[in-house]
Amino acid sequence: MKALASLTASLLFAIGPGAQAEPDKEIGQKVVYHINYGDPKKQAGALSNIQNHIKAAGAENLDLRVVLHGNGLSMLLDPAALQRLPRFKHANVDFQTSAKIDALKLQGVNFHVCASTIRARGVDVERDLYDVAPADMVPSGIAELARLQGQGYVYIKP
Amino acid sequence: MNKDFEINAYVDGELSDEDRIEMLAAMRSNPELARAACELTNLKNQVQLAYANPPGIDAYKGRLVRSPWSAMAASLVMLAAGLTGGWLLGHTPAGSDRFVMLDAQGRGQAPAAAESPETRIVFHLTTPDQTEAGELLADVEQMLQAYQQDGQPLRVEIVSHGDGLDLLRTRLSRHQEKIHRLADRFDNLTFVACQNTIDRVEVSEGIEINIVPDAEIINSGVNHVVKRQKEGWAYIRV
Repeated sequence: MKALASLTASLLFAIGPGAQAEPDKEIGQKVVYHINYGDPKKQAGALSNIQNHIKAAGAENLDLRVVLHGNGLSMLLDPAALQRLPRFKHANVDFQTSAKIDALKLQGVNFHVCASTIRARGVDVERDLYDVAPADMVPSGIAELARLQGQGYVYIKP
Repeated sequence: MNKDFEINAYVDGELSDEDRIEMLAAMRSNPELARAACELTNLKNQVQLAYANPPGIDAYKGRLVRSPWSAMAASLVMLAAGLTGGWLLGHTPAGSDRFVMLDAQGRGQAPAAAESPETRIVFHLTTPDQTEAGELLADVEQMLQAYQQDGQPLRVEIVSHGDGLDLLRTRLSRHQEKIHRLADRFDNLTFVACQNTIDRVEVSEGIEINIVPDAEIINSGVNHVVKRQKEGWAYIRV
């Protein structure tokens, strides 16, 4: 009995430090979310997905980007701009959406907007889009998705 | 003959040989019936998967308290197994298990890990919306032009699969000319059609499917985009 107990003790001592569980967090996740559809319900679902992702993994462990192009731009489009922009079917910025976007940005999420869509559809960034800074623009949404994946970002299309 | 009842018996393998042959013939002429059988079989498999090994009542009988020695020995064995297992888990070679597919629709794939000077993108086209498909073609054309002008290497594949097959069907495609023009002009662009989808649509629509001559046909679209990602291509779902 004694021998067995000391064997157990020495075994634990010998492997003890190595056996410590690693912290149960996913460190340094890099993720890019792709949104190119205009349907407000699907977009709201995507924003919830992102918020839940942050809740699960922790904002401090995440580098999270959202790439918006084509119809996806409607997520940031002011409804007042819809008449001027016939190529958009939806303009989804309302109080709820903007609040969700603000909350995500405060948790470090970057929203990237495709400049080629803006040009092709005649969008005025200042007037028509919600809270888009020049630094948020990327030349091409698709090229940005490819570039980020090349840098190890995980691609998710909710 | 009550087909609903018969089809359940067929799926459960309870029909006689004669009835089975009759059922198979009925399914060949009736795609609805074939689809129903397919769905039932799927459901059956899923249920079996979910309850692969239900614990029987016997599992709770005859649990005896053995001597403390055997309990201690058992716990030691388990400790050793746990430690070894943990060590093995911690030492899996990086990169070998990075590919994760979260659902059958192709959402949530892992990154293209391999570094390559060539930009390689596989577009997974699953939407029946040809306006969207047209926008994709415009985007891709723009990109091919820009890379060509800058002398940057680029390779693009457009894999049309499921509802996305419409883009490459001669009867339904609204962009045939554009597809032909692009395929002609850029040899670094490939259109790919999925044979599984073609087979499925041929059964459900009961007609022969013709694919535009500029497209290659591969067995499985899903398999192909999986393969490309393993090879380090960027993946974009349309």
